Amino acid sequence: MATAVKSELPPLEDLDDPDFDVFAVERTMRGDYDDPYPVFEEYRKQGAVHKLELNEVFAKHHDVEMHGLNHYTVFGYDACNRVLMDGETFTNYEVFKHSLGKSFGRTVTVMDGEEHQRFRKVLQKAFLPNVVARWGDSLVQPVVDRLMSRFIEKGEADLADDYTHHFPFQIIYSMLLLDPDESARFHKLAVAQLLSQGGYPQGPEATEKLGVFFRAMLEQRRQNPGDDLVSHLATVEVDGQYLDDDVLIAFLRQLVNAGGDTTYRATGVLLAKLLEDPNLYARVCADRSLVPLAIEEALRWDGPVTLTYRYCKRDTEIDGKVIPAGAVVGVCMGSANRDPTKFEDPNRFDIFRKRTVRHLAFAGGPHICIGQHLARVEMTRALEGVLDNLRNVRLDPAKPWPKIISHFMRSPDHIFVRFDV
Amino acid sequence: MWMCMNCGHVYEPEEGDPVSGIAPGTPFEDIPDDWFCPLCGAKKSDFEFVED
Repeated sequence: MATAVKSELPPLEDLDDPDFDVFAVERTMRGDYDDPYPVFEEYRKQGAVHKLELNEVFAKHHDVEMHGLNHYTVFGYDACNRVLMDGETFTNYEVFKHSLGKSFGRTVTVMDGEEHQRFRKVLQKAFLPNVVARWGDSLVQPVVDRLMSRFIEKGEADLADDYTHHFPFQIIYSMLLLDPDESARFHKLAVAQLLSQGGYPQGPEATEKLGVFFRAMLEQRRQNPGDDLVSHLATVEVDGQYLDDDVLIAFLRQLVNAGGDTTYRATGVLLAKLLEDPNLYARVCADRSLVPLAIEEALRWDGPVTLTYRYCKRDTEIDGKVIPAGAVVGVCMGSANRDPTKFEDPNRFDIFRKRTVRHLAFAGGPHICIGQHLARVEMTRALEGVLDNLRNVRLDPAKPWPKIISHFMRSPDHIFVRFDV
Repeated sequence: MWMCMNCGHVYEPEEGDPVSGIAPGTPFEDIPDDWFCPLCGAKKSDFEFVED
């Protein structure tokens, strides 16, 4: 896809304070909690449902958009799955209007019922497995090759900072036919949007500036459509009408943020776990049919997002405990994916485990991650890029081993490796 | 292949959907109409046949 469309767009405006370090602030907000899984396990052992704001257990900083609401958190797999699958009782708008609705706007994550179904189907259609599979060669591989070319002759790299941290964002920029010279600014503003959760004014500023840019982009692609994603979304008609601009702009804001942020974290965990075990790495390298198993196990064992939310519309009993109408329900997917009633020896990273129960790394139910199939394609290509190109790759013994951190958005900040050149 | 248009889940006949009582080997056409997508909860009618 993505033949070139002549771009005459105005440049994306930088933050008013161009030196504001978005990534440092984001790291601070995310926290450096080492391993939340023992805490999840302790709660899960005590019951599937707790009256609890989970973020307050770990975080040094309040989530200013969510703090103080009537929070409950569910920990068991069955409880989490029930909440996610029951979109009539457990809805999105009333909870995400406080957070993603402010950062991204009228995104499908903030919709429920028929409105959600209508927009969801159109947007999902652009990210179905048979569609994204074609992007492996056209969009993903060139980015993987370009990033790898920057360090392949050096014999050493930080696979987080040099590789995983950038590749999904750059794939999205390619998908949108954005100017590569502006990729650093896009990355910064994409991430900055969620700083609203910490009360930083750069959050709404980034939301506004990306909105202005995407509105101009939609207009331009309608006038001069190509075969890229935005041209498709800008010109697709439902019941004889274009999709609402505010919905498309919200979708693009979310795409440039969540589409990059989650995949880079998941890929970092995948590479870190394989490199920690050279025998396992060698087996995957020799037998590529193991790649999908390694990816699914990394997603289960330590998925990039441990928690999502729903709003409880009516008093509902789960596991003997009543969640009252009006409560915010935290769904701890990180806990569900380590539930021993579903996954044998759940704390063990085992790519060969029996897969009789699906993991909840991408959530589930009507709002299951739209980008899950693209994420798998990206993770596959990123791992294969390492397997194919970095001979005798191993964790650098002179540097710290990868440390996966945060209670909420988990990833290693560094994966220092050496390899033969 | 039969694919859910709400989430992209592909129904694999050889696997079935044992959690929902659909035995391995069940063709999509033989699944009851009140079956739901195991990933997103969409209706059977939300699935479409897509060429491999």
